[in-house]
Amino acid sequence: MSQMPVGGLVEHVTCLGCGCSCDDIAVAVRDGRIAEARGACALGVSWFGDGRVPAIARARESTVTLDAALDAAATILDQARRVLVFLALDVSCETQRAAVEVADTLHAVIDGVSSSTVAAAVLAAQRRGRVSATLGEIRNRADCVVFWGTDPAARYPRYSSRYAPEPAGLFVPDGRRSRRLVSVDVGDARGPADADTRIRVRADQELDAIAALRVMLAGRSLGSVPGDGGLAELVRTLTASHYVVIVYDAEPGGLPPEPARAESLTALGQQLNAVTRACVTPLRAGGNRVGAESVLTWQTGYPMTVDFSRGHPRFRPDDGARALVAAGAVDAVLVVGRALGIPFALDGLRSVAIGPAASEAPCEVAVDTGVAGIHEGGTAFRMDDVPLPLRAPVPGPPVAADVVRSLAQRIGTRRTRRS
Amino acid sequence: MTDRLRITGGAVYDPANGVDGDVRDVCVEDGRIVSSLPGDAPRLDAHGMVVMPGGIDIHAHIASSSVNQARRILSDERTADPASPPALLDAIARSGSGGTVPTTFTTGYRYAGLGYTTVFDAAVAPVGARDTHAQLDDTPIIDAGFYVLMGNDAYLLEQVAAGERDRARDYAAWLLGATGAYAIKCVNPGGIESWKRNVRAVRSIDDALGMQGVTPRAIMETLADAANALALPHPVHIHCNNLGVAGNVTTTLDSMGALSGRRAHFTHVQFHAYAGGNGKPWASGAKALIAYINAHPEVTADVGQVMLGPATTVTADGAVEYLLHASSGRRWVNVDVELETGCGIVPYEYRDAAAVASLQWVVGLELFLLSADPWRVVLSTDHPNGGAFTSYPELIRLLMDRAYRDERLRGVNHKLLAGSALADGLAREYTLREIAIITRAGPARLLGLADKGHLGAGAAADITIYARDADVAVMFATPRYVIKAGVLVVEEGQLRRAPPTRRLHVRPAYDDAVMRDLSAWFDRYATIALANYPVSPPRDAPVPVGAGA
Ligand code: SF4
Ligand SMILES: [Zn+2]
Repeated sequence: MSQMPVGGLVEHVTCLGCGCSCDDIAVAVRDGRIAEARGACALGVSWFGDGRVPAIARARESTVTLDAALDAAATILDQARRVLVFLALDVSCETQRAAVEVADTLHAVIDGVSSSTVAAAVLAAQRRGRVSATLGEIRNRADCVVFWGTDPAARYPRYSSRYAPEPAGLFVPDGRRSRRLVSVDVGDARGPADADTRIRVRADQELDAIAALRVMLAGRSLGSVPGDGGLAELVRTLTASHYVVIVYDAEPGGLPPEPARAESLTALGQQLNAVTRACVTPLRAGGNRVGAESVLTWQTGYPMTVDFSRGHPRFRPDDGARALVAAGAVDAVLVVGRALGIPFALDGLRSVAIGPAASEAPCEVAVDTGVAGIHEGGTAFRMDDVPLPLRAPVPGPPVAADVVRSLAQRIGTRRTRRS
Repeated sequence: MTDRLRITGGAVYDPANGVDGDVRDVCVEDGRIVSSLPGDAPRLDAHGMVVMPGGIDIHAHIASSSVNQARRILSDERTADPASPPALLDAIARSGSGGTVPTTFTTGYRYAGLGYTTVFDAAVAPVGARDTHAQLDDTPIIDAGFYVLMGNDAYLLEQVAAGERDRARDYAAWLLGATGAYAIKCVNPGGIESWKRNVRAVRSIDDALGMQGVTPRAIMETLADAANALALPHPVHIHCNNLGVAGNVTTTLDSMGALSGRRAHFTHVQFHAYAGGNGKPWASGAKALIAYINAHPEVTADVGQVMLGPATTVTADGAVEYLLHASSGRRWVNVDVELETGCGIVPYEYRDAAAVASLQWVVGLELFLLSADPWRVVLSTDHPNGGAFTSYPELIRLLMDRAYRDERLRGVNHKLLAGSALADGLAREYTLREIAIITRAGPARLLGLADKGHLGAGAAADITIYARDADVAVMFATPRYVIKAGVLVVEEGQLRRAPPTRRLHVRPAYDDAVMRDLSAWFDRYATIALANYPVSPPRDAPVPVGAGA
């Protein structure tokens, strides 16, 4: 916190405004505030803001010292019958690692935003695997880019210019002109306006369309093909390409809800690899949500919704945070990350929040921390599971990883003393 | 904590120092072996027991983006193998889950529980190095390092194409330091890049790979020369072309021949030692391969034994995994990584009823049993590819106990075993000295770890003490004591402490000129700023490189 610049230009800053995690932002700092996030898109500029965040520790209605807040937090969590630890947004992997330790020690349930957003895709990967590529591979190799019901311009603004289809790459030297851009419009969810090919699929026929593509790929004929006949053409385009990427928005609110989409597209992508090279890559939103899945996986074996109540991790995909809170199955919650905007209400629960603007959430104990990537460094994962370093262009409140570690310490000590 | 400890009365197996089961004391002070201690130093009674250096795994997959992708899809097998926290005295103990790819904490605990104190992850994509360090930070007790993948790196291949071998060496040096790696890994040289271009087979090491002058041979030569010129503690670590393909022993022998006279390590050679192919049935190629290795002192290898039972195949060699998926219909993960490398995963099971799996099992054992020099042919299962590291005790029993081995041999599918040396009868039984070599002293020597793998004064006090058992699998699965850097980690068979670990990495010097060129390359092709690419240097000092090391 202390050795951070209060003025000047901090380069190569990573933005967590969306899952693109652009790491080329130059942040101009004046008087300890962000004057400009150079290179960021509008979404990124608003994610950075001016760098001002609340910086208090609060227990009930009063401002207290950090130590007092952590003591109060440890007492609440230690006394609870069943705790939910919730990994919210804008914290680093270092913070997430400490939060999983707290959950493990408390025999709590731990979950994050994934269970209410991408659970179907997580389960699909467990059944079928996945065919994927990092964004650098797509940038340098993909000569056929299929946006599946998705125009990245809205929610992933720099995807097109940084990854595909715009940039020139090692095997696509003329950038956009080296690539075929395909838009598959699913119902009202339309792909990019400048697509070379556009195929329209009714929202209620999306899975049929994928199935039809698979049948045609396998060289079998179809009785009737859904849509406007473009699917047969699409199969020809895909198989004639050297490296296909199918991009879809895995976060809610983009495409019409369809739980089987991820698995169907994965099956299509796997099948395509019998003839050419292909990958299917989800677009993921920001705040290091992908990092939470990675950390949970390496520490527990499961990317979301882990129950430690038996003293070891159990995967409970049907009992995510929202469901547990709704069922009254937990009596205390620890939110690590941005507590405003979590997918459940805290009413009637004992609650602790540690994270950016925690004090603005209706929690019993709150410790404001910096925002990962703005006030504190560490590691975050890009949407393609590539880890990136975070910088801290402006000073801020206590570092979340330190705060959660010292909470873990307190809880660990209490538990050890008792056993 | 144990600052001083005298281990008394045990039969000591310290082959690096010529000690072969002699009953003698081993003295430990401040984490190191010392030649003597005052008489009043605390004692650990090891009468009737076997004392060895801590185990060293030269090739495993325990902490990488690929390993984490594997963990993610294995929820079924790990549900059946939950891991409660051990009762530690000095640290907060963590739970986890096992299966063939355990979680990080469980990996550390289980390795230590087997008497292993040092492990190397054998395949890390440069761009994922930060992920590996974070996972290793959460892997307790064992010291660890990793090998960084270079055999399909587009920048490196360009240097090979341009004949810029010095720049290739400087790049390799930079990349080792930037990623905090320990050695150079070369997987299916050129074959992963080919797979990304939909060219699925590299027929020979002289195949032109679509770039002027780039052949698997040229890639291997470049990387071997780079490692040797930099005087790295471990030479280039090669996974040959054509893994798992009938007839591939030809490719493997060609690869070894290509590097003839150069120091090089060939990994999981079992997967590269098959005869047959071209319409002929699979057969063992072990005899030819091991004859070559026996005759060429510059060549070293780990076996990559297949253990009958569950496994998870996880490799940078994506093309292989596609074939396995296509032939088995199993779940399949492929991730093409950033002009650097690849990743393929297929959960698998080697069944004794299956002809090829049985052949693989036999080939690995033949390599062990026909090896003339245990210092150069060391133990691995390519965890979790041939089987999990938790099967090492069973593997040791297969090597030490002929009656048991013959009994197992009778139970496997013999369809492809005609003419195999093992089927014809191999009487050899490994001695405890030889086991200590292939699991400790040998790997330490191959890795250039001067202070590990032995019990001479000055060595790290990483020590495993086994109670003898008629069943050596039991003996090796349940050490009575394990000492890591002088700390009693396992006591009376129970995991009790989790002391801090050490990251093993190198930071060789290079000519800065490469950075100008590399910077231009990053501007054109990378999705990460060059300034953001290097990991924060590990807190442990690098292992020295160079002539004096
Ligand atoms: S595209 Fe996403 S990561 Fe990049 S600047 Fe915009 S919001 Fe930030
Ligand atoms: Zn391997």
